[in-house]
Amino acid sequence: MRIAFAGNPNSGKTSMYNALTGRNEKVGNWAGVTVDKKESPIRKSMYKGTEKLVAVDLPGAYSMSPFTSEEGVTSEYVRKEKPDVIINIVDATNLSRSLFFTTQLMELGIPVVVALNKSDINEKKKTNIDVSALSKRLGCPVIKTVSTSASDEGLREVVHAAVSVAGSVQKAPYTQGTRVLRDKAEAEEADRRRYAFVNGIVAQVETRAALTRDRNSQDKVDAVLTNVWFGIPVFAVVMFLVFQISQTWVGPVVADALVGGLESFQEWVRGFFETANPLLTALLVDGVIGGVIAVIGFLPLVMVMYFLIALLEDCGYLARATVVLDPMFKKVGLSGKSVIPFVMSIGCAVPGVMASRTIHNERERRAATMLAPFMPCGAKIPVISLFAGAFFSEHRGIISAAMYFSGIMLIFLGALLINKITGNSAKHSYFIMEIPEYKLPSLSRAFATMCSRGWAYIVKAATIILICNTVVQIMQSFDWSFRVAESADTSILASIAGPFAYLLVPVVGVLSWQLAAAAITGFIAKENVVGTLAVCFVGLDNLIDTEELALMEGAGTEVASAFAITKAAALAYLMFNLFSPPCFAAIGAMSAEMKSAKWLWAGLGLQLGVGYTVGFFVFQIGTIGMTGGVGAGFVPGGLAVAAFAAILSFLIMRTKKRLAAERAGKELRNG
Amino acid sequence: MTLADAKPGVEYRVKEIVTGDEELNEFLFTLGCYSGEPITVISRLRSGCIVSIKDGRYNIDKELAAAIKI
Repeated sequence: MRIAFAGNPNSGKTSMYNALTGRNEKVGNWAGVTVDKKESPIRKSMYKGTEKLVAVDLPGAYSMSPFTSEEGVTSEYVRKEKPDVIINIVDATNLSRSLFFTTQLMELGIPVVVALNKSDINEKKKTNIDVSALSKRLGCPVIKTVSTSASDEGLREVVHAAVSVAGSVQKAPYTQGTRVLRDKAEAEEADRRRYAFVNGIVAQVETRAALTRDRNSQDKVDAVLTNVWFGIPVFAVVMFLVFQISQTWVGPVVADALVGGLESFQEWVRGFFETANPLLTALLVDGVIGGVIAVIGFLPLVMVMYFLIALLEDCGYLARATVVLDPMFKKVGLSGKSVIPFVMSIGCAVPGVMASRTIHNERERRAATMLAPFMPCGAKIPVISLFAGAFFSEHRGIISAAMYFSGIMLIFLGALLINKITGNSAKHSYFIMEIPEYKLPSLSRAFATMCSRGWAYIVKAATIILICNTVVQIMQSFDWSFRVAESADTSILASIAGPFAYLLVPVVGVLSWQLAAAAITGFIAKENVVGTLAVCFVGLDNLIDTEELALMEGAGTEVASAFAITKAAALAYLMFNLFSPPCFAAIGAMSAEMKSAKWLWAGLGLQLGVGYTVGFFVFQIGTIGMTGGVGAGFVPGGLAVAAFAAILSFLIMRTKKRLAAERAGKELRNG
Repeated sequence: MTLADAKPGVEYRVKEIVTGDEELNEFLFTLGCYSGEPITVISRLRSGCIVSIKDGRYNIDKELAAAIKI
C-alpha cells in the first residue's frame, strides 16, 4: 500500500517521513527543502499490521496548481500515480491557509487522513483546534502530531488511520462542481468560494489567544537579524563561525587523533606485506591506502561543518538570510532565494544545485545553478586544507576563510556577467518567501545528519577515491609497453597528463604533470586532487598520510618543497581547482536543472574561464610581488585570459546591440 | 494606496493586485492574498517588508509591496 505525504511547504512532511521510515532525508526549517519525491517502506515499529506500507514523500505545495517546478511534482503524482491513501500534513499554526489544499486533495477521490502537525507550537501559543469538530466538517480522520518528536504517539495513530481508511470512500467536504471553468475569472470565483468555505470551518474549530498579525518575541529577534545595518554583518559572522569552528578550532583537533589511528592501520598492512614484492607493497600500501587515508584524514573537518550547517538549517535562520541578502543579490540579477542553493553548496554542490528549483524565474534559476558550484564544497575542504597547511601554515585559517570569501565574490561577479550577457530585460522580478518560526535546533538531528553525510564521505573514499588512486598508481608505475616505468616521468600517467601540464604553466609556473593529473582526477571527485597528489609525488605519499601535513607544524615545508612550486603558484593552483568546473556529479545536477545544453555549456565555459583567469592572476601578481618579474608562461596565459575576456565582451556587446534594437523597435511602434 | 505605504501593525484589506504576472497572482491567491482579504505589515526592512497573511509570515520585496493595492 502506498501512502503519499502531501501538504504545504515547511509543514513537516519530510520530518514525519523520516520518523516513520527511519530514513535520514534532508530536512530544514524553510519552505522548499524537498524538491523531489522519495519512497521508502514504513518501519515495523510504527505499524503492527502485516501489510507492507510504503511512504512517498512529496515536495510541499500550496495548491494543486503549481507555481514552481517542484510543486508540480506533487500535483502530478497524486493525480496520475493514484496513491492508496494521502496523509495530508497540515501546519496547525496556519490552518486557515492549509485547509485550502486539503479540500482540493479530498476532491481527488483518494482517501485522506489529516495530520495536524506542529501541535506543540499551538499549545505554546494557546491556539486551540477542536479536532473532532474539524474531523466531522472535513469528513476524514484528523490526528494531532508532532513529527519532530520520535516518541510522539500521534505518528502511529496516523499510520493506523491511513490503513483503516484505505479503499473507503470519503465525501469531499467541498466540491467545485463538474462545471467546466471557462476563463480565469470563473476559476478565481471558484477559488474564492473554496477559501470562504475554509474560513467558515476555521472560524468554527479554532480559537486563538494570540493573533498572528500581532508582533511577538520572534519579531523582535527578526528586527535585529534582518536589520538594515546588522543584517549583513550578522550573516558574515555566522558563516565565518561555521568555517572557523569546523576548520580551525574543532575539526583539526579531532583529525589529529584520527590520523594517528589510520597511520597504525597502514603500518599494520605494511607489516603484512613485508615479504611480498616491493612493487606490490608500494602500490597497495603507499599508493592505494595512503591516498585514501589522505582523504579520510580530513573527515572530521567535513563532519563538524555538516553538523553546524544542519543546526543552521534547522533553526530557521536561512530564510532570514535570504531576506537580508535579497537587495544585494537583486543588484546583480539574482533572487534572494539563491542564498539557499549557495549555503547548501557549502556542504555539497549537488543538493545545492538542486535547491535552485524553488526559484520561479527561469533566468535567475539557471544563474543560481551555474554559480552555486563556486562555493567551495565539503569535498574541496581537503584540497584547501592541504595547500593552506603546506604553504601557509601560519595563516591557515585566513587562507581557508579567504577561499570562501573569494567564492562569494566570484558568485557576484559571475552573476553580473550572466546579467550582462543574457541582457536581463528587467521585467519585474518579485520576491516572496515564507518566514518560518524560529525553533531550537535539534542536536540529535544535526548529529544524525553529520553521521550520515560523514558515512557517505567514507564510502566515497573507499570506492571512487580508492579506485581512482589505484588507477593512478598503476598508470604511474608502468609505461606504455606495460613494463615497470624506469621513473614516474616515463609512465603512462605522465604522458597522458603531460600535454595538460603545458596549459597549467601560466598558473603554477612549472611544467608538472603531477599537478595536471591531480586537477584532471579532481573532476571525478574533488578529494581526488589530494589523493592523486599523495600518490604522484614520489616520497611525498608518506608525508601526506603519516604526518597529516595540514595539521602538523614543520611537515608542511617539506611538502611544499616536494611540490617544487612557489607560494603564489600553490595559491593559484588551489584556486584554479576550487573555481574551475565542479565534479561530474555536480555537472550532472547542473545539466538536470538547466534542461538546456546551451546553458550547461555556457556554465561550464564560464566556470573554466573564471577558474583559469583567477589562477593566472593570482600566480602572476603574486610572482610580481615576490620577485619583481612576471612568472613563467605570462604571455600564452595572458593570451588565453584575453581571449576569454574577448569572448565575454563580444557576448555583452551583442546583447547590448540587441537590447538597443529592441528599444528602438518599441519606440518606432509607439511613435 | 499600496502596501508600500502601509503603516506597520495596522490591518488593511487588499483591494487589487497588479503584478502583471498571472502565475504569481494565482500563487498569492493560494497563500490567501487576494482582494477583500486582510493583510498586515509586521515590520519594514530595507528590501521590503514582512507581512502577515492569514496565519503565515512572508517577506516580500518593495516591488511586490507596491503591486498590492490596499
